[in-house]
Amino acid sequence: MLDVAPRVRQYEILPSLQPPGIPAVAPLPTGESEDTRRIAERFGDAVLAAGLHHGQQVVYIKPEQLVALAEFAKTDPHLRYETLIDVSAVDRSELPVSDHRFHTVYQLRSYSRKQHLMIVCPLDDGDEPTAPSLTGVYSGATWPEREVWDLMGIRFAGHPDPRRILMPENWPNHPLQKQVPLGGEEVPFTLTWEDPEFESLGKQILEAKSAPPKLPPGMSLEHMVINLGPHHPSTHGVLRLVVELDGETVVNVDADLGYLHSGFEKTGENKRYKDFVYYTDRMDYLTAMSNNLGYCLAVEKLLGVEIPPRAQALRVIMAELQRIASHLFWLSTHVLDVSGTGMSLLMYATRERERILDLFEMVCGARLTVGYMRIGGVSRDIPPAFLPHLEEFLKIMPEQIDDYERMLTHGPLWSERLIGIGKITREEALDMGLTGPMLRGSGVDWDLRRDAPYSGYENYDFKVPVANEGDCYARYLVRMEEMRQSLRIIRQAVDNLPDGPYRAEDRKITPPPRAELDISMEALIHHFKLMTEGFHVPPGMAYQGIESSKGELGFFIYSDGTARPYRLHVRGPSFNNLYAISKMSKGHMLSDVITNIGSIDIVLGEVDR
Amino acid sequence: MGLEEKLPEGIITTQLEALVNWSRENSTWPLLFGLACCAIEMIATGTARHDISRYGSELFRASPRQADLMIVSGRVSNKMAPVIKRLYDQMSDPKWVIAMGICASAGGPFNNYAIIQGVDKIIPVDVYVPGCPPRPEALLYALDKLRAKQAKDTFRTYAARQATPSSTQRGEIESLEALRQLQPA
Repeated sequence: MLDVAPRVRQYEILPSLQPPGIPAVAPLPTGESEDTRRIAERFGDAVLAAGLHHGQQVVYIKPEQLVALAEFAKTDPHLRYETLIDVSAVDRSELPVSDHRFHTVYQLRSYSRKQHLMIVCPLDDGDEPTAPSLTGVYSGATWPEREVWDLMGIRFAGHPDPRRILMPENWPNHPLQKQVPLGGEEVPFTLTWEDPEFESLGKQILEAKSAPPKLPPGMSLEHMVINLGPHHPSTHGVLRLVVELDGETVVNVDADLGYLHSGFEKTGENKRYKDFVYYTDRMDYLTAMSNNLGYCLAVEKLLGVEIPPRAQALRVIMAELQRIASHLFWLSTHVLDVSGTGMSLLMYATRERERILDLFEMVCGARLTVGYMRIGGVSRDIPPAFLPHLEEFLKIMPEQIDDYERMLTHGPLWSERLIGIGKITREEALDMGLTGPMLRGSGVDWDLRRDAPYSGYENYDFKVPVANEGDCYARYLVRMEEMRQSLRIIRQAVDNLPDGPYRAEDRKITPPPRAELDISMEALIHHFKLMTEGFHVPPGMAYQGIESSKGELGFFIYSDGTARPYRLHVRGPSFNNLYAISKMSKGHMLSDVITNIGSIDIVLGEVDR
Repeated sequence: MGLEEKLPEGIITTQLEALVNWSRENSTWPLLFGLACCAIEMIATGTARHDISRYGSELFRASPRQADLMIVSGRVSNKMAPVIKRLYDQMSDPKWVIAMGICASAGGPFNNYAIIQGVDKIIPVDVYVPGCPPRPEALLYALDKLRAKQAKDTFRTYAARQATPSSTQRGEIESLEALRQLQPA
């Protein structure tokens, strides 16, 4: 007789898929580093906790001492944290805690010592908190703090300009607070006119009401105040600048952002970790690969997963190709705005850019919003035709860059309009928290790829171009040289492309190969779990910055142990760099404002997020 | 027959409507106006490889007064919506709208507090292009579709469109039936 008793097979229980335990009340640091010890000694009881967390230096400080700590970190000769990179905040009201609902989080960087410091400041005042403003120490905190007020509802005492920055002035709530719903509409899937969904049809139409013009603070109507944007051919998207003019000389510039605010951070908090990768494509849509990379690295930091060498090399190739593509687009639009060579350079530069897009299409099927990287590696291996095409591209590209330079670098029109325009000194660049070519154009020798390497950048030999003049021309030269250096990196990566898997073989994070699904029940379960529930990320917080083509692109993730990020914050390089527009444009002519916008290289999708 | 035989060579006869539509089809000038990712593909459509000037649409006009076609290329946020409506109202008739990409068509992946779920909630749309973002070829196909629509335009429908307000204002529509009656036959 046949044995028909059900066979019970013990499956391996996946620790990361178990229901999470108590969510992280506060991701507390352990151990200590030289810097945290020094801060703890100096501030004594005001430091609530200090140490290392996922390899990051973290200090919890009481709000009373926050400004003093920032000043100490900036001026102390042993610390020298010159720059405030980012300000964000966490609303902990959905965690099982009753005190300190809001935490503000600050990222500091020391360029001279190659250090990163995270400061967390628990705020006392319950639902309407106030934090001390750091604008007195780092002027680069001005916009990020306005953003935190706008989206999170935290006031900053002593802030010089406490207005909303992204949402419309009369917006009723602060959307990132946890009690505010994601919003949106239900999608009607029916198609008859009788459906209740259509009742509102035609009634949703907005009136194009003119808002009464509000004069930004610091401007006076004695001069002429004009409006540049949000629909303007030279603002690279939907940026609005209010410009105060004395004759044709710029007296004051105020940027009005948020015309492309898409709620990325709130959306990210409602998506599983793996699903947000595709959203990052649409943030800075000119550097989709870099955005993918930054987000994946931040999640991988929390997961502690090891990435195979081939995946790392592929990521480097793609990120550098994307940098070239982004710089090409910057160049073509900048030239279109500035030099009057008409469309020719736009046509030339996009010709080469199309080649890069073809390469992307080969590996992932998309030109712009690639979604190529995955948490744990990349989505698929490169096809056989990829490398020959890449070789061809590497062969022609240096000549093309020389060609562009021949058209521009010594051209009288180009240099006339760029040299001496939009000057930023080294100190100002550090103070304002500028990154990327904006920083290197002002004489700060800093590149995250070299100084805080990720994805195996330490294995490549490349130079970091730096110019000291700090004007638009210096930034132009820096970016042109960066393209050449990117080609060098790709060359080395292609020559030493390792064999092996293209994603981590960790079945808790990456799905099993298709062939395995037919023969292995375990693979099927892994696959099902991954596709339905996603993976859980251990509680903690991580900040990961990468060198995108525009500067430091940072992702701050606060995980409570579930399959979705509890708090997801993006530090967009364009956002912080655009803060410089006012300082760069004052005293110059109106047409130089356009040069400056081009020189900052903004993408509004990332400024507004 | 008839007239053509008596005319000298080089002269053809046609309907005035067909002539007008032919010229509109071949010189639809878009508004120079980009919102998000799709704007980059729109620019790519304008450059050498895809070459939108084959359609006579290479003249992107910065002023809405000179533009015939609004390509809504990207997501429309709550803050931007009144601006888009204003721009549309500023364009002179006849005017057309292409909703490029899923965000402009229906909100796309951004079903949240910030984004309007489809630009057709604020302005009438002639052609919807799927894709995220649509390839330049898809935008060119949309232009083809638009040309087909323009070719069918008659003076009568054009006059009827003139009689109704170019856009429907809030409060003017009491029911769905009233909305349908507002539409030209």
